[in-house]
Amino acid sequence: MTSVTSTKLSDYAIAIDTSAGTTIAVLSLGQVLAEVNYLEPMTHSERIGSAIQTVLAESKLSAQDISQVVVGRGPGPFTGLRVGLAAAQFFATGAKAELVGVCSLDAIAYSYYLKNPDQSLPLLVTTDARRQEVFWALYAGISSGVPNRVEGPRVNKPEFLKEHLQGQEHIVCDLAITASALGQVAYYQSLTEIGPSKDIAPIYLREPDAVPGKAKKVSG
Amino acid sequence: MATVIRDAQAADLEAIMSIEQECFTSDAWSIETMNSELLAPHTHYLVAIVDDSIVGYAGSSQLPGASQADIQTIAVKPNQRGSGIGKALMVALTQEAKRNGAKEIFLEVRADNTVAQKLYKLFGFKQIGLRKHYYQPDGVDAFVMKTALIDDVVLEPLVLGIETSCDETGIGIVRGNTLLSNVISSSMDLHARFGGVVPEVAARAHLEALSPVLEQALREAGVSLEQLDAIAVTNGPGLAGALMVGVGAAKALAVATGKPIYAVNHLVGHVGADILDQGKLTVPTIALLVSGGHTSLLLVRDLLNDVQLLGETIDDAAGEAFDKVARVLGLAYPGGPEIDRAALGGNPAAVRFPRGLTLPKDMAEHRYDFSFSGLKTAVARHVELAESRGEALAIADVAASFREAVVDVLVSKAIAACLDHEIPRLLLGGGVIANARLREVAIAKCAASGIELRIPPLSLCTDNGAMIAILGSQLVQSGYAPSTLDFSADSTLPVTTIQS
Repeated sequence: MTSVTSTKLSDYAIAIDTSAGTTIAVLSLGQVLAEVNYLEPMTHSERIGSAIQTVLAESKLSAQDISQVVVGRGPGPFTGLRVGLAAAQFFATGAKAELVGVCSLDAIAYSYYLKNPDQSLPLLVTTDARRQEVFWALYAGISSGVPNRVEGPRVNKPEFLKEHLQGQEHIVCDLAITASALGQVAYYQSLTEIGPSKDIAPIYLREPDAVPGKAKKVSG
Repeated sequence: MATVIRDAQAADLEAIMSIEQECFTSDAWSIETMNSELLAPHTHYLVAIVDDSIVGYAGSSQLPGASQADIQTIAVKPNQRGSGIGKALMVALTQEAKRNGAKEIFLEVRADNTVAQKLYKLFGFKQIGLRKHYYQPDGVDAFVMKTALIDDVVLEPLVLGIETSCDETGIGIVRGNTLLSNVISSSMDLHARFGGVVPEVAARAHLEALSPVLEQALREAGVSLEQLDAIAVTNGPGLAGALMVGVGAAKALAVATGKPIYAVNHLVGHVGADILDQGKLTVPTIALLVSGGHTSLLLVRDLLNDVQLLGETIDDAAGEAFDKVARVLGLAYPGGPEIDRAALGGNPAAVRFPRGLTLPKDMAEHRYDFSFSGLKTAVARHVELAESRGEALAIADVAASFREAVVDVLVSKAIAACLDHEIPRLLLGGGVIANARLREVAIAKCAASGIELRIPPLSLCTDNGAMIAILGSQLVQSGYAPSTLDFSADSTLPVTTIQS
């Protein structure tokens, strides 16, 4: 039940991303009707309900008007990322809307190309992965509104990236993710033959930190 | 010491006035005013009684046939505050107003009385106006507040409950006090190789399990989301990252379906589980909740507004102790059933392992608290000693003796709580209740002490969504306002916060 094929006639989408802060937008055919952005990284589960309610109210829509839910799959810090993915699934179920997933870094690349449509150099999008690492992906332009990701998403140390891209001239982009960009990527994907992806699995890129337990010695 | 709410009588006037003067030092009503309000045909006054004495009162007025009621006053003796008496009075007043056909309730409150405002907000009151200098002689402003009553009280609400506080993704559906479905997806197997619950592994599993579990719960109950009256969700205590998955999902579902949401306490949910089995909860009761994450002893006088934490573990939870000792003995995870198996035929008196926090000096400070860390270390020492001497370890004896120590402390302290508080009732909950020896000892010792023992079926003892749904259902049935959407997941939510 991760997705329901929509039979609604409306073309309203809600985009939800919690890979960094909490960002939520309502769009109609790619046009942004309302958006809220909470930048702080620790309040996703508090904000998510009223944030959805706010964008719906601002766009004068009810949840049942929404025909598509677009969710950011990350990468991003896991705990926050999951709040958006969980919310998107249950919102889609409750609103009987279609559910599609977008790599959050694609939305950041989209925002960059919106301002720099003619950039021909490779674009490196990075976000903070903590532990002195970055999540990253490499793009080679944008076509029909969909950023062309050629490598990633991956997680590495900055030194690795430096070496990896050695000698290759590129632009570095660390813009903030916005749900409006996420929704627009999904909209432009829906105009292509392949369409947006139904894959809403979180992009973790790291295994859980845990080691198989052993009993510790207690007597010396 | 249960709180009793009854209609006020003329004979209560003196007791009421004494509280009035204690609470409203500068602007108390005169005895004449109070008397005429008590006796007026269009007013409804209640008193709250604890230990045969009046500790609070409240009054409302509503003209015959009017769709509006006014709350005129509410007061609780200062030394009795914080134990849910005000809430109980509010519940009774709002229910009475609903019965008399009220659609809205109004009240005025001093602008500087934030305690009362908080109580009113809990019942859905919102500020709609301001009366300048309303309270004399202090010249303090009054906030005018109003709450809209949701149609009639839903007597048999259909409630869906979501539970993700540890390693069980649970969604249950109840109608009134009746269980319709209770679907649980456990990530226990994924934790096995780590020897204990790994929070990140649990949280990942919740996200994967949510949608299939919801679908199955709806299918088994034979209901659709549209039919629900409310959604309930655990917002603590538990693993933060795990709780947030359920909270995020529940909030979005509530917004998408337009249903009210109730954020409820996981531990109180365990107590509520007995309603699913018995159709009701008999209070007051002592409750012993034992799981991999909790070991808590509660005193429950009222499920919705009077739950008190008597004690809890100061280190490992009992279930955790089973897991850790299983590891020491080379047994698999989860430790409870493994140790039960290993203890078959073992002598529980073979090794006298320590009983944590039972010495007189500990009992003074930690009468109802538990500690299992020392016990775990004692078992490990015993095993290492045997190894260093090259002796064969009598695993059955060690397992049986360890288990006996855990069970002994759990049951003894629970029974002490019953006897100390003169409450002849004990309710068990939590996954460790699956342990056969624990049940056996509890049954025998309760019978010997004349204590009535309640053990719900295991499917309701382990973490599950139905117990969250039933707690939500009780709140709806009692006319409690829903939670606002901004509540947070609170890993250390105190048991006194029954609804957030």
